[in-house]
Amino acid sequence: MSEALEFAGAGTGGDARARFRQPMPDLLFRLGLGVVMLSMVLMLIGPWLAPYDIGRPSEEIGQPPPALAAVPGLLVDVVTGETHPSIHWFGTDDSGLDVFSRVLAAPRTDVVIAVGANVVSLVLGSLLGLLGGAGRPWMAGLVMRVSDLVQAFPVFITGMILVTLAGRSNTTIILTLALLYTPIYVRLTRAEVLTQRQRGFVDAARALGKSEAAIALRHVLPNALAPSLIQASVTIGFAILLTAGLSFVGAGVRPPTPEWGLMIAAGADQMVQGEWWPSLFPGLAISLTVFGYAAFGNGLERRYAA
Amino acid sequence: MSRFIARRLLIALFQLLGLVLLVFFAMRILPADPVARLVGMNATRDAYLASQHALGLDRPIWVQLGSYLGVLPGSHGLLEGDLGTSWVSGSSVASELRHRLPVTIELISISFVLAFLISVPLGMLCAIRPGGVADSATFAYSLFAGSQPVFWWGLLFIYIFFGQLGWAPPPLGRLNPMSTPPPFVTGFISVDSLLAENMGAFWDGLHHLMLPVATQAFVLTGPIIKMVRQNMVRVLGADYVLYARASGLAPSRIAGVALKNALAPALTLLGVLYGYILGGAVLIETVFSLPGIGQYAVQSVLDFDYPAIEGVVLVIAAISLFVYLALDVVHAVLDPRLAA
Repeated sequence: MSEALEFAGAGTGGDARARFRQPMPDLLFRLGLGVVMLSMVLMLIGPWLAPYDIGRPSEEIGQPPPALAAVPGLLVDVVTGETHPSIHWFGTDDSGLDVFSRVLAAPRTDVVIAVGANVVSLVLGSLLGLLGGAGRPWMAGLVMRVSDLVQAFPVFITGMILVTLAGRSNTTIILTLALLYTPIYVRLTRAEVLTQRQRGFVDAARALGKSEAAIALRHVLPNALAPSLIQASVTIGFAILLTAGLSFVGAGVRPPTPEWGLMIAAGADQMVQGEWWPSLFPGLAISLTVFGYAAFGNGLERRYAA
Repeated sequence: MSRFIARRLLIALFQLLGLVLLVFFAMRILPADPVARLVGMNATRDAYLASQHALGLDRPIWVQLGSYLGVLPGSHGLLEGDLGTSWVSGSSVASELRHRLPVTIELISISFVLAFLISVPLGMLCAIRPGGVADSATFAYSLFAGSQPVFWWGLLFIYIFFGQLGWAPPPLGRLNPMSTPPPFVTGFISVDSLLAENMGAFWDGLHHLMLPVATQAFVLTGPIIKMVRQNMVRVLGADYVLYARASGLAPSRIAGVALKNALAPALTLLGVLYGYILGGAVLIETVFSLPGIGQYAVQSVLDFDYPAIEGVVLVIAAISLFVYLALDVVHAVLDPRLAA
């Protein structure tokens, strides 16, 4: 046996999984962890960190951010307590709103929606997945067929329709995304439930005379959650992307809420004309955040699988 | 094989029927009032009722469904391929989609081919030495590209390549607005312009597709590289690769054989991705003002134009299901065990 393993190892250059443990993915995982933590902090206190009022325009309209060379000097001034009347780190948009403040305040909308939607779909999806893996055959079949049907819907367009027709609000976006993401968790949980049900502790619980429902809920489900929890990190990132996309086309959050997608949409025309800052910074925020969640989820997956 | 296809077609048909019914009822259950949207806020009660009657929304919901499906006597409906009439423009939804769809299909398909051509060599490069420098860098790139907001990159590309460098045309549609488009035959500008032997329009069309395709392809390379890499790593660990290596075959020959086997299971995922991007084309079309099905979808949703919304969902879902089916058939041809 071990000989065969060694032989296979010689041919392929070692177990591929062992070879994943490289500095690069580890760096990515840490970066992801940092981004996830930062986004959570901003979700909680972002609006309070904003130096300017996120809803009240200032006099300076379309003011560019300070030149890169001037930034260190300005930072020193801020630290030493010397106040400038109007530092707009990321400039101001065409109605005079401070871009930096709004980028900081936006996670209160974007991240709350993304996390909320994933919590709802994770709970719903794992319960339904348990039913799909351990329930009676007709129930399991029904759950899986419905889940297939929901997955056959085009995600973005369905999101647009449901959010717009149900009234554009954070709650409807959360519920819509939850509906769209539930099948992912149903599938993951079901697959894991099917594996876990073969394990010895299930037989042991059954031998102790526990009911099937109690075994499923108390023993199988907690052991079948890991893949879904890992997936949640990636899916939260995609939910941020979807929320911003919906708002960008006008089928998501209502203006003037500080929200990254809306801010990009508001600055789009100026971007074409050469004023890059109102759209650039919120876009960077989305880019970094979603990448961070993906890297974090991916790192978790590697650690879990290894 | 034909039984396999027939079974899959039947399932797809049921899925489509389920989709139609779900969308139909969802739109009527959700608290939106399309009549109020159409007649405006200041309309009189009579005007409201007249409009409601004209749209047929005063009838019982089962009658509405029957006439939409075309099972009521004297009604033309879905079963005859009639997608209804747009409440806003008054023209047939099917013919509007007929003009919109080719724009989107052209954009997405070219982006897919480009992304695929970039991703396959990169994915293979990763798989040949897993954990190497090239693998780590490409892995980070694919993770990054796969998690990017496509609409923002579109704007960024416009800023750089149109605004600063002047290489790209203004992001205002499929062709230069001053030029005359080639006569509508297939709807694909590149094909129609060649048919009309209008090389000017052909190059202008490609020029206008440059940035949207680059943006879409960039985002697509993320998942495709990951997929090619995973499958390649798995295949390269197989016994027949070991045997080929032991027989002294050149690494490039081995890679060629392995690639064929790695791409077969990847096809299914490509199909899913195609369907996903088809529905998500909204974003890129909005940024570049391309008159595709995505823009049509946004407009109909914001206008509460129910027949148009139904039509868009139905057509996109039908194309996605058809693509899955076609790729599954190709997959089953490559690997006959699947059809059994």
